[in-house]
Amino acid sequence: MSQARVERQPVSGGNMLLVMVGLGMAFLLFMAMLGLKTNPGPIYGESNMLYVALVFYAGAGALYMGFGVTGIERYVKLASVATSIGWIANTVAAAHRWYEAGRPPFSNLYEMLLSFVWTVALLTLIAEKGYKVKIIGSVTMPLAVVSVILMQLMPSEVRPLVPALQSTWLHVHVSLAMLSYAACAVSFALAMMFLIQDRMKTETFQVLTASGMVGVFASMLIRFHSGALAVTSYDISRHSEIFNDQNERVLVAIPDLGWLVLLVLISALIPVILYFVARVQKNDNLHDASTKAMFVSIVLQVVMVAAFAVRVKNSIYPALNADGVAPTALAGSPFILAGMIGSIFAGLLYLLLLWRRSDLERMLPPADVLDGVTYKTIGVAFPLLTLMIATGAYWANQAWGSYWSWDPKETWAAITWLVYAGYLHARITHGMRGRWAAYFAICGFVVVIFTFFGVTYLLPGLHAYGSNG
Amino acid sequence: MNFFRHKFFRFFASVRTGIFLLLTVILLSAVGTVILQRPITDPVEIQRAYSPSTLQLLDRLQLTDIYHAWYFVTLLGLVILSIIFVSIDRWPNAWRFYSRPYRFAEPHFRASLPTRTVIPVPSADGALDAAERAFKKCGIPVEREVSGNDVGLYSERSRIAEFAVYFVHASLIFLLLGYLLDLQVGYRGTMALNEGETTNHYTIRRGATEIDRTLPFSIRCDGADWDSYKDADGRDTGMPKRYWSKLVVVKNGQDVRKKEIIVNDPLTYAGVRFYQSGMDKGNKLGKVSLQVNIPGAASPQSVELIPNQAAKVGDMTIAIARFVPEYYIQDGEVFTKSETPRNPAMQFTVSKAGTQYPVWIFMDRSGQAIEKNTGVQLTVTGGKLSTLTVLQVSYQPGQFLIFPGVLLMVAGLMMVLLMAHTRHWAVVVNDPKVGPAIWIGGTSNRNKIRFQQKFEELVAAIKTEVKAGSSINKKTTTPELAKV
Repeated sequence: MSQARVERQPVSGGNMLLVMVGLGMAFLLFMAMLGLKTNPGPIYGESNMLYVALVFYAGAGALYMGFGVTGIERYVKLASVATSIGWIANTVAAAHRWYEAGRPPFSNLYEMLLSFVWTVALLTLIAEKGYKVKIIGSVTMPLAVVSVILMQLMPSEVRPLVPALQSTWLHVHVSLAMLSYAACAVSFALAMMFLIQDRMKTETFQVLTASGMVGVFASMLIRFHSGALAVTSYDISRHSEIFNDQNERVLVAIPDLGWLVLLVLISALIPVILYFVARVQKNDNLHDASTKAMFVSIVLQVVMVAAFAVRVKNSIYPALNADGVAPTALAGSPFILAGMIGSIFAGLLYLLLLWRRSDLERMLPPADVLDGVTYKTIGVAFPLLTLMIATGAYWANQAWGSYWSWDPKETWAAITWLVYAGYLHARITHGMRGRWAAYFAICGFVVVIFTFFGVTYLLPGLHAYGSNG
Repeated sequence: MNFFRHKFFRFFASVRTGIFLLLTVILLSAVGTVILQRPITDPVEIQRAYSPSTLQLLDRLQLTDIYHAWYFVTLLGLVILSIIFVSIDRWPNAWRFYSRPYRFAEPHFRASLPTRTVIPVPSADGALDAAERAFKKCGIPVEREVSGNDVGLYSERSRIAEFAVYFVHASLIFLLLGYLLDLQVGYRGTMALNEGETTNHYTIRRGATEIDRTLPFSIRCDGADWDSYKDADGRDTGMPKRYWSKLVVVKNGQDVRKKEIIVNDPLTYAGVRFYQSGMDKGNKLGKVSLQVNIPGAASPQSVELIPNQAAKVGDMTIAIARFVPEYYIQDGEVFTKSETPRNPAMQFTVSKAGTQYPVWIFMDRSGQAIEKNTGVQLTVTGGKLSTLTVLQVSYQPGQFLIFPGVLLMVAGLMMVLLMAHTRHWAVVVNDPKVGPAIWIGGTSNRNKIRFQQKFEELVAAIKTEVKAGSSINKKTTTPELAKV
């Protein structure tokens, strides 16, 4: 009798989550229906479909997370149904945009995110159905949701292409980039799961997560201007950034927000410092302190995002590199926003590990399977990376007569390629396995992130065509 | 042959050297993305970014043009050397695998192969047949191999996969050689020409200086302009949609090639490619509209003139002779004050009965003039300055190594990642411990985990076949056994 009760308990708790997710999705869809009349265009139009995709992805994400915490199999089934519906809506949205524009949707950041989300959702379904890696949705679906939300903030109208971008090779290049970067992201997630199964210490995950956070907020500190935070100006009515006489993007200074960034950076640095102090002094008590510091940092980051959103949203601030004032909006700072949300998301995953490690270990495939799948994913990503660089070179050769001009984006793509080439060499000829292979895969993805975001945001470059700075 | 034992060869053939070289390439490439680079960045911008002393230091260390610095090029050369030496070093092994396949498992080989199993059989007779059936069930092609008195099974797949790495390495050499070739003999320059103009001059940039060079043929521009996107009501939005230039290659005074180029679609002649890179207002006359009054004619006639083309009006022809963007007059002669079209003057030629009469029109005066000999009155009613088209001139013969190299690399990668050279051997033996048995062994050069799984499946299949075979065929004869 008592055993039966134990078995029933998670099921009833499980129904609770299902009801909540179902009601939440129904509510959001109902609200959207009410607003449908004011929204022109066909019902299967891009913005409606994208909204449907968002709702279903969010539901799927919640269910995958629920599976991560409770381990109830039923959640995964429903979650993959929700992911499939969301993916179909996503496909319709992309197809509608393609039809409207008369060209594949890969030309600006908005469209690239659209195809990135599409690829991520597809890969999630493949990983789940084909390789039985069920937990992966709890990582990828929130990523998809964040991307769709970012897309809602960005200018979405179909814009004509400047002449340099009118090339089939460019579309091939960008879609290959999205595919290979998505494969790299999946290999990163798999390598992390391997490290969990390989009994890497939770403290080590903590210091990795905290270092990532430090990276995000340290790169934001580049925009620190005597206490203020400089963000790109943005004119909502024209859906465009504002440029000064020298054709540079106008930056506006939001007072005091810079100090908050500094504070968050310090709060993320504390766990890192405590970890190394604990290592040197061999004092395990410090780990508790650093976990508390980590917690404080995550809370501060949530405050930071809220403060950022409130202060940036459609406001006017003094301009830094032009006279007078200029408006800005959330759409002007997609990279900052993505960085902060990504950092919080990493923090939440860390908390999941901290609190539910034994459940996670039970649900994940064994370490050697994860190791093998990581290798396979990189085995898929690497030829795609090669083709991506090759088609990019071919396009550049057709557009301005040089297949390789060492512009930072190109150089960093080559560095990414070399890192993964190193991984494959070490693996194939020297039989590298396990821990080191996982570290290598993680390093590779860090370089990918830098190539994708860092080069545009941190380094000067030619590749400013499709970006939003 | 001694060379291959020499320290120099061993040093560059070692994996450690290879890794060190690659890390150095990564490091220097990354440095180049942090420091502003000369050919890409505007000189003014660089001067604004660094203090004069820092810039001097960076220039002296070639850090502002790191990818063309002697040490970076040398490094790429060393990478090529290392790849070649590593390949030579490994070649004998790969070639041995390929050219002289080891088909029969001798006792010493059977003892040393890591993946092997001994399956006891009730009798040696028919054991090889059972094993052969199991191979076929597992989808592994197999053949019988006779060595002296012994018979064994041998199976081999994708022998060519031994060379996969060589394809990838060869492709890397293609890429690097192509790049170095372009660095030495290739160039990229800029050519700017007005509509109607012919030139063979272009400029290249080396560091902060511009160098003027000439081509062995000339380019004439017969027209250039840009179209912009129209909005829903058909009005210009001002967003450029298409830049185009009509180019003609002129060699020895003859037009040899014609093409209208647009962005992404260049003109190629003798390996030199001309790309549409920019467009500007020129300082030449593009087109002029004239009103011509011939004495005695009923009404004035309108003509449109473009440079190098005459128009017929009645019994006369009119052509543009000269265009001066900003003029001044000294001693009754017209001179050019500047190339900026602020105050233009135009000279036309009126030809009648084989005689040419020049006539000047100054735009700041009335914009009209009467040619005294013929009495023809010319009035400029409109005109357009020429468009200056800016072309990228590029000569990169190395691309004929680069793009085949890329294809070779993709093919090689597919081979590396998807193909494995797998071999299996089976021999019937008389094992001292278990008696008659099938010895089976196998090896794969890649993807060993998957191979191990397949091998276990094969062993299980042989066991089933042996069991099935022994229940049917109980008859025994003296077996001919291979010695263990």
